[in-house]
Amino acid sequence: MRTSARWGAVAAAVLLTATTAACGGGQGPGNPQGRGPITIWLSNNEQEVAWGEEQVKAWNAAHPDQRVTAQQIPAGKSSEEVIGAAIAAGTTPCLIYNTSPAAVPQFVKQGGLVPLDTMPGGEDYITQRTGQAAEQYRSPDGHFYQLPWKSNPVMVIYNKTLFAKAGLDPEDPQLSTYDDVLAASEKIVSSGAAPSAIWPSPASQFFQSWFDMYPLYAAASGGQQLVVDGEAQVDSQAALDAAGFWRQMYAKDLSPKEAYTGDAFADGKAAMAMVGPWAVSVYGKDVDWGVVPVPTPNGEPADQVHTFSDAKNVSLPVACQDQATAWDFLQFTTSADADRALLTETGQMPMRADVARTYADWFASPDGAPYAPFAQQAARTVEVPNVKNSVEIWQDVRNAWTGSVIFGKEPVDSALRDANGEVQHLLEVP
Amino acid sequence: MSTTTTAVREQRPDQQPTKRGGASRWVVPAVLTLGALAFLLPFYLMVIGSLQAEPDTSISGLVPSGGLTGANYANIDGSIDLWRTLLNSGVITGGAIVGTLVFGVLAGYALAVLHFRGRGTLFAMVLLVQVIPFQLLTIPLYVLTVRTYGLADSYLGMVLPFLVNTTAVFVFRQFFLQLPPDLFSAARIDGASELRVLWSVALPLVRPALLTVVLLTFIGPWNEFLWPFLVTKEASMQPLAVALANYTANVAATTSNPYGAVLAGSVVLAAPAVGLFLVFQRHFTATNLSAGVKG
Amino acid sequence: MSALTPARPGSASSSSASGRGSTTTSASDGRPPRRGLTGLQRAFGRHPIGVLLALPYAVFLAAVFAYPVVLAAWMSVHDWFFSAPGVEVDHPFVGFENYRQVLTDPQVHQAFLNIAVFLVINVPLTVALALVLAVALNRAARGRTFFRVAFYVPYVTASVALVGVWLFLLGGDGVVNSLLGPLAPDPSWLVNSSLAMPSIAGFVAWKQLGFFVLLYLAALQNVSKDLYEAASMDGAGRVRQFFTVTVPGVRTTTALVVILATITGANLFTEPYLLTGGGGPDGASTSPVLLMYQLGIEQGNPDTASALGIVLVVLVGLLVLLNRRLLRSES
Repeated sequence: MRTSARWGAVAAAVLLTATTAACGGGQGPGNPQGRGPITIWLSNNEQEVAWGEEQVKAWNAAHPDQRVTAQQIPAGKSSEEVIGAAIAAGTTPCLIYNTSPAAVPQFVKQGGLVPLDTMPGGEDYITQRTGQAAEQYRSPDGHFYQLPWKSNPVMVIYNKTLFAKAGLDPEDPQLSTYDDVLAASEKIVSSGAAPSAIWPSPASQFFQSWFDMYPLYAAASGGQQLVVDGEAQVDSQAALDAAGFWRQMYAKDLSPKEAYTGDAFADGKAAMAMVGPWAVSVYGKDVDWGVVPVPTPNGEPADQVHTFSDAKNVSLPVACQDQATAWDFLQFTTSADADRALLTETGQMPMRADVARTYADWFASPDGAPYAPFAQQAARTVEVPNVKNSVEIWQDVRNAWTGSVIFGKEPVDSALRDANGEVQHLLEVP
Repeated sequence: MSTTTTAVREQRPDQQPTKRGGASRWVVPAVLTLGALAFLLPFYLMVIGSLQAEPDTSISGLVPSGGLTGANYANIDGSIDLWRTLLNSGVITGGAIVGTLVFGVLAGYALAVLHFRGRGTLFAMVLLVQVIPFQLLTIPLYVLTVRTYGLADSYLGMVLPFLVNTTAVFVFRQFFLQLPPDLFSAARIDGASELRVLWSVALPLVRPALLTVVLLTFIGPWNEFLWPFLVTKEASMQPLAVALANYTANVAATTSNPYGAVLAGSVVLAAPAVGLFLVFQRHFTATNLSAGVKG
Repeated sequence: MSALTPARPGSASSSSASGRGSTTTSASDGRPPRRGLTGLQRAFGRHPIGVLLALPYAVFLAAVFAYPVVLAAWMSVHDWFFSAPGVEVDHPFVGFENYRQVLTDPQVHQAFLNIAVFLVINVPLTVALALVLAVALNRAARGRTFFRVAFYVPYVTASVALVGVWLFLLGGDGVVNSLLGPLAPDPSWLVNSSLAMPSIAGFVAWKQLGFFVLLYLAALQNVSKDLYEAASMDGAGRVRQFFTVTVPGVRTTTALVVILATITGANLFTEPYLLTGGGGPDGASTSPVLLMYQLGIEQGNPDTASALGIVLVVLVGLLVLLNRRLLRSES
């Protein structure tokens, strides 16, 4: 029939447009030497926006010919989608101050990010500012596609009032081994002090494992990533230990299998929570709290325990036309002074070699004191592995975790072994 | 809307002869009240929750005993330029409604009443488009809109995927099909042009469908978050749903009562929609089709 | 009046028996037209103006939907991802590899099974409740405005907002369980693998019902009162009238409601994403679109996501056609 022939032609024409639009065309990559006005993206967290706008204002006053404009993108899970889509469309800004390390491999695969070590002095700037920890952010090809910017080391916060109610010592709680935490949890729940001991999100999104499984794995493994030298560690002893602990928490109803609407810790529904330093300003006034490192199987000393970093980094998309300006502005906003402002205004830890000592004066002040434990912890953080298929790997881990650890539908050992096989496969596929 | 008026009569139950009036006298209100309760109770909880300073998830929290506050709303008003974002939402939603009413009615009429080449294919497309999940289209469409059409940070870019609501075309077609074909033949014999037939004969008869569809079209773009968010980065261009989603995401991470903040945001987003519905709802009542058909 | 017209012209209405014939003739003989009017009609069918009226919409469809869909089909048989402009990337043809991957994934099987459960519960519930409420509303002597608005409120409210309240209602110590007391399910609704999907089906029915009530309300105006009078004369009570007059009278709309509800259900995404925390418990409420979102948008594999999308589109398309067949053959 002619009718369908004509529609076929329309479809073919559309297809042609589609392929040309998606394969080529558009503007080419930007200019590494370019200077001029640039746009940056900040996360929409109120304190971070305030910090960013101060930085922009200070910069613009000194560089009227290279003005910076700041825009906001979501702080949470949708930011990766927005960045990925913007890379594909070539509409990225010049700097993104909200890049999740787990998404970086994907953006690199898209050809969307500038290797920062190719900028003048880039390699030295990153390794000197961040120190040894910077290596975790180097991509498999040896380049830095992200500047390690700030971390939110995950620790265990506890409610002193509820601990006292449960007959636990609020000033020196025993929470360093798995058995300690289980014993304390049972007391909290059986005494009625709180309906649950600790309430991490039991949801299935890929990133949820970063706030229950991964901090404990990082601690139990003595600071290793989920992938070591190309080998998946999903069924390693450390992972099995962490899973065994959480399995008991769920099996004994010390952690609910259901998501909480709102904030369980703030509402007194849970006596403990896994948090970063952002918690200080959120709970500061309403809850009398203390903070300890995450537990380990045998109770490592507090000053040796590792945890998940929950970092957000800065990246420079290739579509940026004035990359020299962007690189200068990036250094301007990660100087010792700018980092001090970030620390004191947002409470998040700049990824500097030794945060605790660099800003010791502030951590000794009344404002900074609550953040001091987090600064100590910031020296021992573990990042998500910088490997391809990163998000897919975490989704596989999470699926195994919800099925076995949270809902107990299959044995933890076999579930993690299967997941390890899948993850290994994802690491090896070309 | 039209110059030809049809008798607007509500069907009243009391006009209908009935033998069991006794039973239906309580059955109907009972069904309606039960339904209304089921629909409104969660909404009531939403409003109450948005007014509570501290979240109260117990049963007794259903009936608030003081402690209500407008703080959650005051915060929103303080963080968002409500009028500006409302205006943006209005422009996007208005564009979608106008586009759907103009192009959608034309297409629905053509599909139902006229015979032309490609009609079958077009209708197959109408069905296909409805079956396609938006998640499949999001990124290709975004790349097309922004990279090929260059519509980033523009109203047109935001309204583009909503410009003609396909479900609306489908509904229009369905309603035009219900009109007896003789009606059109008669008008055509009288020498009326096709547009004239559509405007003076067909449109007045499907007015309930038109208004139904206005509401249908209204909801999608009004509540849509991801699309306008992808297309606009300028805060001054963003619609209410995006501004509120940004606000609640931000507040949920930095307050100890995220529940109240989220619910207050929901109420602010829903209120204009409900308000508009209240204003226009009387138009949904019966334009008595059979009266019009009988002439 | 036929209840539903088929996709092809020709049997759309009783007066159009020759519509298809003339189109095909002019298409097959392909000679240049002799006179203006007939020529137009030969080229574009019996009502050439139809082309003009439908054109803006057709252009819209081609520009906004055809492009991404064709691209999706293209992606699904290639190793594809979205690269930055100007970046040279090889997208080799991989045949049905993406489809094989998707169709052998047990998660995908579970997602389609979940959707089947959803549709079996949601569609009949939606049709029955919407019709009953519409009839009641149509007969109501007073308070119509109030009820109509009440029914419509959930529909106009964003899902994101309502989900918060429903979590509160259906939670372990939520309102519903408190009312049920010892009858409350354990584990609770949304974390119970056999109740999670039915709960979502109920929520979606509740949320969408207002719109379908409106469709039925409009349709009820078209049911002739004479039919009720006649039925009443025959001694039919309200209930009999409902089944012998109302139900057949709104058939067209029922078909529409079934199809729209099926499509809405098959495209389920927001509710499992938010209400059950990404398809929990343990995948008991994952939906195909949720998996597409994970694959294509979160994990950066638009090729496999597209393959899944195409499978979904084909299946739902078949389902809709089947619905239409079944509902038509009843008439």
